[in-house]
Amino acid sequence: MTPARRRMLEFLLDNLVWLMLIAVLVIFSLTVPRYFQFGIFANILEQSTYVGVMAIGLAIVIISGNLDLSVESTAALAAMITGLLFASSGIGMGLTLGPSFIAIPLSMLIAMAVGVVIGFINGFFVIKVGMSAFIVTLASFIWVRGLVVAISGGRSAQSLDPAIRVLGVERLFGVPLLAWFAVLCFVIFSLIMAKTPFGRYITLVGGNEVATYRAGIPANKILWMSFVIAGALAGLAGWLLAIRTSGATANLGTGMLFNAFAAVVIGGVSLKGGIGKLPGVYAGVLLIYSIHTAINLMRLPAHWTQVILGLLVLAAVLLDTLKLRLREKLL
Amino acid sequence: MKLTRRLFLGATTAMALASSAYAQDKGTIYYMVPTLLDEFQTTSVDAIEKFMGEVGYEVVTLNADNKTDLQQSQMADTILLDPEAIVIAPVDFNALVPAIEEARAAGIPVMIFDRQITETMIDFTSVAGTIEIGHVAAGEIKRLLTEKNGSVTGTVLQVLGDPGDPYTLDIQKGFEELMAGEDVEIITHPAMQWEASNAGTIVADELLATPDIDLIFVHAAHLSVAAVASLEAAGKAPGDVMVVSSNGAPVGLDLIRQGWQQVEVEQPLFAQAAALAMFADKIVAGEEIEPGTYDVLGLESTVTIEDWGPNIKIPGAAITPENVDDPTFWGNLQAPDDPITPVE
Repeated sequence: MTPARRRMLEFLLDNLVWLMLIAVLVIFSLTVPRYFQFGIFANILEQSTYVGVMAIGLAIVIISGNLDLSVESTAALAAMITGLLFASSGIGMGLTLGPSFIAIPLSMLIAMAVGVVIGFINGFFVIKVGMSAFIVTLASFIWVRGLVVAISGGRSAQSLDPAIRVLGVERLFGVPLLAWFAVLCFVIFSLIMAKTPFGRYITLVGGNEVATYRAGIPANKILWMSFVIAGALAGLAGWLLAIRTSGATANLGTGMLFNAFAAVVIGGVSLKGGIGKLPGVYAGVLLIYSIHTAINLMRLPAHWTQVILGLLVLAAVLLDTLKLRLREKLL
Repeated sequence: MKLTRRLFLGATTAMALASSAYAQDKGTIYYMVPTLLDEFQTTSVDAIEKFMGEVGYEVVTLNADNKTDLQQSQMADTILLDPEAIVIAPVDFNALVPAIEEARAAGIPVMIFDRQITETMIDFTSVAGTIEIGHVAAGEIKRLLTEKNGSVTGTVLQVLGDPGDPYTLDIQKGFEELMAGEDVEIITHPAMQWEASNAGTIVADELLATPDIDLIFVHAAHLSVAAVASLEAAGKAPGDVMVVSSNGAPVGLDLIRQGWQQVEVEQPLFAQAAALAMFADKIVAGEEIEPGTYDVLGLESTVTIEDWGPNIKIPGAAITPENVDDPTFWGNLQAPDDPITPVE
């Protein structure tokens, strides 16, 4: 195989998930009535935002060779605290702070701080105590959701401060402002992962933690930081979710963990660690929500929606597996 | 920081419900609540504990976290504790039948709250009727469509809860029964796991696919919050697309006050819970329950003897902008002051 052909093949395999996304969008646009319109594509971008931001943190932890099952509950807690503080109906306390432009950064920082605390706790037990990340984050998944119910009493906060809610209503170039947060996060973290020592260390630690440690790289610090970043991004996802729903309910975000995992895997991140790129994860999220939107528009019988979505995700993962085998065979 | 009136009302109601200092000497009743992720259910816990306390029973609540198998295990454990009675709001309407039969065989009376089980004998059932909620919603939606379009015509987007939950399927059944034959297109989607952002997504997509939607019927008030958020994001003003929701939660009533929602179908939570307490002594003693009409917190309710046992049906109501502040609606979070009087 010539070097040029090899490069081309490698490029195609590296970006197969994007090609799958384009193929799916073309097929749905041709076959599903009213799918092909700008508003639908903007909706897909917006709907991908929450799971997308969550999936960035999850992907970073997985690339570093660990696992974080707590991101969904962390997002729910951040959403509930945002709702509690800044919503004015239900259990919301209607916090108002001086000039309205302060509300956006302040509420965002509070939500992210909630995530940082949970990520820090997860990291402590995994790195310092040496417990399994699966068990630690599974426990967090449970107790953090319990905390959401405890602080809300099962009730809802509603009518978010209009100064914050504006992000859920306004658009930039026809795309909801919320969607730009996900785009921005993917750009920033893709650059961090590809261009900074920290990003390279994450991949190295995930590939071989012992060798990285022997090379003088502070593996534990890197791993702990990955949990903190995942927590912060989950907090950000929760904040975005609260803006989208204009408040929070006790079960907000339920089921998003599985979509985030599916997106990470479809996006080409190896669950064994050390392999994966964030742009692929974004394509994975977009692919899932393109399918989701098509199912909505096709008005399929309610009971079959979940079955079809699951099978389509399985098909996407199968294609990804085939891609890996093809790469091993040809390259 | 400003505490809202709603928070104050919620706190005082919770305190009122929680602080019933009544003699609790008749024994323990277990309440199997299906989930605590929903305002109706969390308020039901407070209400059942308060009303049962007023007639002398201590209530222990077990949360099944929406898991049928967990509720089955809780039933098995509770039977061994030999309580005076068990109150169940089942996760799955029929999966608990063997456990209920086991409890009754062990001499423990079983009462059903809110979610009707008809496949086996029950000692007492207190419901508004999920199918009837669908009927009330259909009646109101016909009225709203007529007011808007001059006749019962138009397009309705129906947002269910989780399609695995018989509760939402019964509401759908009742609603579609009464809408059958009308010139109304009904588009139905499920909001998986009763999760609010799923409902928001459905509304956002359908507003593009079907721009002429007249009305959105959402099966729970917390879902209508996300539906309204999507309407707002799509540039709609209150009233552009009508919204009807069910269960009577505080958030639904707030949306009516804000003008986004036209009708909330109330489930008479307080009365449903109070009815259990009114008949508790008779049920525990194994006495016969007489059919007829009874006054339950001011609502005329009917006890009938069905194939599955005594059944009290308490009428649901349509909450509209005209009556939204009525304190008897549980969504206004004002627990009734009058103590429960047991039925003689």
